[in-house]
Amino acid sequence: MQRSPSSYPIIWRVMDVLETTFAAVWPKGGGKFTPYLMLTPAIVLVGTLVVGLLYIGDSSLRVLDRSTFLFSDYWTLDNYIRALSEPFIFTVVWRSLLGAVIVTIVTLMLAFPYAYIMVRTPSSFVRKFLLIALFLPFFIGQVVRAYGWLIILGNQGIVNDVLGLVGVEPLRLLFNYPAVLFGLVQYMLPFGVLMLAPALTAIPEEIEAASGSLGASWVKTMTHIVLPMAKPGLIGAGLVVLTLSLTDFAMPAILGGGTQDFIANAIYDQFFRTSDQGFGSTLALLLIALGSILVGIIFAVFGAGTLALDGSRK
Amino acid sequence: MNTNAIPAQTPAVSASNVAMQFSDLMAVKDANFELENGRFLTILGPSGSGKTTLLRMIAGFLKPTQGQIFINGKEVNAVAPNKRSVGMVFQKLALFPHMTAAQNVAFPLKMRRFDAKKIPARVLEFLNLVRLDGLENRRMNELSGGQQQRVAIARALVFEPDLLLLDEPLAALDRKLREEMQLEFRRIQKELGVTTINVTHDQREALVVSDQIIVMDNGEIQQDASPTQMYRTPHNPFVANFIGVTNLFDGKLMSASAEGAEVHVGDLTLSGILRSSSDASVLGSQARCAVRAEQIRIAAAPDALGTLDLTFQGVVKDVIFEGERLLYELSVPELGDEPVRIFHHDQNDFATHDVGETVHIGWMNRDLHIFVAS
Repeated sequence: MQRSPSSYPIIWRVMDVLETTFAAVWPKGGGKFTPYLMLTPAIVLVGTLVVGLLYIGDSSLRVLDRSTFLFSDYWTLDNYIRALSEPFIFTVVWRSLLGAVIVTIVTLMLAFPYAYIMVRTPSSFVRKFLLIALFLPFFIGQVVRAYGWLIILGNQGIVNDVLGLVGVEPLRLLFNYPAVLFGLVQYMLPFGVLMLAPALTAIPEEIEAASGSLGASWVKTMTHIVLPMAKPGLIGAGLVVLTLSLTDFAMPAILGGGTQDFIANAIYDQFFRTSDQGFGSTLALLLIALGSILVGIIFAVFGAGTLALDGSRK
Repeated sequence: MNTNAIPAQTPAVSASNVAMQFSDLMAVKDANFELENGRFLTILGPSGSGKTTLLRMIAGFLKPTQGQIFINGKEVNAVAPNKRSVGMVFQKLALFPHMTAAQNVAFPLKMRRFDAKKIPARVLEFLNLVRLDGLENRRMNELSGGQQQRVAIARALVFEPDLLLLDEPLAALDRKLREEMQLEFRRIQKELGVTTINVTHDQREALVVSDQIIVMDNGEIQQDASPTQMYRTPHNPFVANFIGVTNLFDGKLMSASAEGAEVHVGDLTLSGILRSSSDASVLGSQARCAVRAEQIRIAAAPDALGTLDLTFQGVVKDVIFEGERLLYELSVPELGDEPVRIFHHDQNDFATHDVGETVHIGWMNRDLHIFVAS
């Protein structure tokens, strides 16, 4: 049964060469450090972010002198006091927060049936179609998509053209709050579906059959079995959609037309329009705090265990 | 169970010309059977034989493409699973991981709108029945495999269904636990008197637990009989071979009568009992003879065999020690190239024959089953 090495598939031989090279280069006994070594790129990346945050923290404590356009050389909480007292900032924060919550709820409501059908359909054609429809928007990008909505929803857009045919006066469908939320939901839906699909795949179909044979109607199977079992996926998807919507920039900028700013837009304005890096940094930290508190509340309510982070799930 | 409401002659379950056609596969062909109230039926067959498909049709997860299924005399083809009074234990148990043992067992009671005040007592009663008292607040990942089985049984029985279905729930267990649970199923089934249909590929399990066995192969019911009948009078070579270890010899039918039949195998004439219906048996047609491994006696000398109708000489090719018995594989030139398999059970002297040794074997004609290809 002895075979000459040359009769092995080429990929085996390539792997052999790689393995030999690796064994020669890698220090012997370094095996137990390997996992930590593989962690380093991630740690360096996160570490850099932390350094950036420290700089932002420093800037947030310095106020801009509008006569000299220089930052104070002492630390002060003026920026924070201004952020908490200025009505405009309150409006922006409230708008972002409410928007993120609404977008999260609507996205989950739309993503759940989508993911469920995609996972459960017996037809491979339907599954492929749903998957492609899901991934296509990713290739297009957020800004292009937002411009797409401008064309569709604009005063001379397709929707108003169609409405005009049935005698409806052109509606102002853009540059308002619903338009921003609509664009955000449309943007978040693929994220929601992608986060939910594995959670639903993990629920065996037999469980649903069992629920049926035990007397549960389809609706009760959903509410008593599928939804509770999909909870980790729902929370994971919810967290992603919530934080992404809360910090979104493009949709409020393009579909809101400057009238529906979210926090990220306000930060952008401070940095690049008024050049008040100090106040911009304060708002940035405010956004981080807001996001962290929200995530913290979700963890506190549902427990980190629901996200399968406690390692007890098999 | 509502035994009183059902006339004695109405079978608890019956199937009439039931067939299931998947796109290009006939999974079940023209199945007919009846199951009496309170009895334990096992559908036995290799994988792909259609046994699970038949069970899923009875449960209501699949709708037969042809024929009718009756539960207590009522046609149920169009009745959804949650509207049938059928408890099912699933292959992978399908327990609800986000609920405790007690919540799992209470689930069907809640879904079927039982009196809420009576549910806790009822749940405890059934957890006691499956000997899980004290574990009602455990979650599924805190229970052992055997305990999970018990939760699944309690959950399937707690609403007192007309019918209990078992979809190979024991297949994944190790042998000792599996045998323990087989007896447990039997005990609970007898205690409650619930009509039960079990699906398995384990012939031993079928013989141990059942009142009635249906053997399936290729989507067709091969035989429907009691365990002893199934074992002693198999209807065809498939059944003879599937239940127990059986030697098969091919030959030509030479004579056939109610008392016995004769088959020419090579230069030999084997006498035995005709198991196929006699009108199909045309003299001279192809016939198969079957002798079970434990019906053949083996000894070093011919006179040690005792009285037998037919004896041969053979050479031991292999000896396999199976604990309570030995399995011999013999080469017997007169009976063809296939090795002849013999079980040796002698408790007094485990006189083993060595590989290469010439031995004497033989059997009684009443133990030879003859099947004619129809």
